[in-house]
Amino acid sequence: MESLKWRLSLAIFGVLLMVVWFAPNVLNTEKVWWPSKQKLNYGLDIQGGLHLVLGVNIDGVMKESATRLSAVLSSQMEKEGIAGVSVKIKDAASGEFEVVLPSDDAKAKVTAFLETNYTNVLQQMSASGSVLVYKYYENYAMEFQSKILDQAIETIRNRIDEFGVAEPSISRQGTNRILVQLPGMADAEKAKSLIYTTAKLDFNIVEERDPAELAGWIAEAEKAGNYALGTLKYSEYVNRLNTDLAGKLPEKTQILFEKAENVQALEDGKIPILVRTDTNLSGDSLNDAFVGYDQYGKPEVAIRFNALGAARFKEITGKNLQRRMAVVLDKVIKTAPVIQAEIGTGEAVITLGGSRDRQKSLDEAQMISTSLRAGALPAELEQLEERRIGPSLGSDSVKKAEMAGLIGALIVIVFMLLRYKAMGVIADVCIGLNIFSLISLLTSLGATLTLPGIAGIALTVGFAVDANVLVNERIREELAKGGNFLFAVREGFHRAFSAILDANITVASTAVVLLYFGTGPVRGFAVTLLIGIVTTLFANVFLSRVIVDTLMTKFGVKKLSV
Amino acid sequence: MSKIESKGFDFVGKAPVLGGISLFLVITSLIFLGVRGISYGIDFAGGTEIQVRFKEQVAIEKLRALGESQALPGVSVQGFGDGVEYLIRFQTVQKATEKETNEHQNQLVAKLRTSLDQEFAAQGPEYRRIDSVGPQVGAELKKNSMLAVFYSLLVILIYVALRFDFKFAPGAVICLFHDAVITLAIFVAVGKEVNIPVLAAILTLIGYSLNDTIVVFDRIRETEGNHRGQDAAKVINKSINDMLARTLITTGTTFVSAICLMVFADGVVSDIAFALTIGIFFGSYSSIFVAAPLIIVAEKLRAMTEVKA
Repeated sequence: MESLKWRLSLAIFGVLLMVVWFAPNVLNTEKVWWPSKQKLNYGLDIQGGLHLVLGVNIDGVMKESATRLSAVLSSQMEKEGIAGVSVKIKDAASGEFEVVLPSDDAKAKVTAFLETNYTNVLQQMSASGSVLVYKYYENYAMEFQSKILDQAIETIRNRIDEFGVAEPSISRQGTNRILVQLPGMADAEKAKSLIYTTAKLDFNIVEERDPAELAGWIAEAEKAGNYALGTLKYSEYVNRLNTDLAGKLPEKTQILFEKAENVQALEDGKIPILVRTDTNLSGDSLNDAFVGYDQYGKPEVAIRFNALGAARFKEITGKNLQRRMAVVLDKVIKTAPVIQAEIGTGEAVITLGGSRDRQKSLDEAQMISTSLRAGALPAELEQLEERRIGPSLGSDSVKKAEMAGLIGALIVIVFMLLRYKAMGVIADVCIGLNIFSLISLLTSLGATLTLPGIAGIALTVGFAVDANVLVNERIREELAKGGNFLFAVREGFHRAFSAILDANITVASTAVVLLYFGTGPVRGFAVTLLIGIVTTLFANVFLSRVIVDTLMTKFGVKKLSV
Repeated sequence: MSKIESKGFDFVGKAPVLGGISLFLVITSLIFLGVRGISYGIDFAGGTEIQVRFKEQVAIEKLRALGESQALPGVSVQGFGDGVEYLIRFQTVQKATEKETNEHQNQLVAKLRTSLDQEFAAQGPEYRRIDSVGPQVGAELKKNSMLAVFYSLLVILIYVALRFDFKFAPGAVICLFHDAVITLAIFVAVGKEVNIPVLAAILTLIGYSLNDTIVVFDRIRETEGNHRGQDAAKVINKSINDMLARTLITTGTTFVSAICLMVFADGVVSDIAFALTIGIFFGSYSSIFVAAPLIIVAEKLRAMTEVKA
């Protein structure tokens, strides 16, 4: 019994620690100083909110970048003096290229060029005759994909932050999914619409054509294909139209639309404009975008390019004096001013034509600049799962579950008292301490309490009761055999311990498996179960033994009723 | 080494009869599940559920008509009994690509909400819950959940084999399988859909039943140690009889708590409690009448293979 001093100190320390961790849930830590500030998080199923699982189209981005790289490679090699090399894409998704050499002499030069410039990017797979096959390194491809996902997460976070939703949680799920969790319904609605706002900004030089001629072509194509804007979404409509007119339009141009003045929507009036697709300046090159005002106080969007973008902007404006440049946001032409002079400052403004309503223009300017500032999404998003829980539903469920739990607990407590008397009191105190410790630990670990988690707590209480029943029944058994109380207590705890430990370890190992394979709610259940096992061992095994031992040695209690 | 006196209830003696009943129940459950098929809820099958509450009573026919008019695939409307709260659900339609399937589903949800807001503007619809799960996520959840159950059973098998003895392991796992299959069959029979909460419920039950089995096994191991060389049936009978009070008390208290949760709570918690209520009964029963006698069976099988070898 020498170790009792240590065990008692450990028990007191443990309980104090639990009090420290638990207190922020009931204390106002902003007013009162307290060592721990963390409060218990409630899951969306309890507090209400929006839960979205978004799929990120990483393959699409991979394909796009492979296409870009293939074009860049041949032109780069030409600059290096290796002429006539053609780079073909073999498999865009995995980044496999075929480099076709003009002659065998070029082989060494091309290999050397790719080795020095694309050391960690491209790996030579085979070299037969005049055809070299290159592929992305596995590492590079994986890093690239992971970067796209990170960037998408970052962009979504920025967009949601702009709207100030409280405590959003945006996390990666697997290799190509994003989980967005937003507590609170009203904000979630707004934030969701913002997530899907793809703001893709492009600057295109206008190819001047007679609008009537363009309108004629469009009418023809619409009639032939039997479609119109309104039956198709705008982006689909534009894509369809340009595919149908591909033969008529000059190379590297496409038709986009500007909203006519004084109409509400594009459907009501749109002006077709032919723009070049090879201008190569887009929203990626932006540093900043903000709302500004022109000399008449009309809202406009001011943009500032980064160094690279500024240089490109200067080059374009210099080359295309007196031509028009279209500012295109999500394929809609916002404005198309004539370039009066070369612009070297890297700054420009997007004026908003159309609406005369000042508040509306201001809203639009704000929306555009927010979208631009928060960045365009690198990849397309696809909604895979959506769950919304109204705040009233969760709190109703919790209230009912709490009441049910209380009634159940009361019955158990009264029963333990009747059956085990003094030892029953100790068991009840320990069950209480168990639940208390469980909530403390959940709080301090920053875990989230969900409804399945509450079921986990219920199961923990079941295990805890079982632990005390095992011990007490064993003590009774030993007493019945004629042992004295001290011996019976020692035997009771000792014998019951192996059963309790084995049961808890097996349950814990299944909980670990669930934590690993499970998703969302199942994990919440597994976490509470795991912590519950720890607290059961602490409260119902360790603490209850310490309490009994202390009563007997320090307070001279000879026998407790059991 | 004291000799075991034959007193108390002969549990092992009843095992052949009860084992037969258990086997019959498991086979019936498996056939029932096979024929009837497990009806997966939207978590696993994909689909949409909208729980809406109105400020005043709305006739269910009106909502049904709305669902029909929107041509929602496999739409069903279910009331909560008070005439103000309803659950509208419909299925996912497979389109050419996954992307189109998801977009189509999202459009249907948006359209339904708009028309609910318009047609019942006076009744002030409040959306208590909207769940919309795409087919890929559902299929993946199903796969992961099956894996989770499979691996947890495997882990238990290995742990019990190492910590106790190989002869204990099959009993523990077969007993869990027995409880899980019968509970699942009861769930399906009372018309509950298998969703993530139900899965959590079955896992809870496995956890509980496991606890019970291990406690019984522990006692058998201890009795075995004290009475080496004695008849296994006597050892098992004595162990179970010695701890009968504990089994009844634990079963009784947890049973009462589970019934409280089942009756007074709702939704997920109630479902889990329902599984627990069934599970506590079958868990205690199977620990005594299925898991323990199987130790003897495993022992005999091992003796037979050893003789052959």
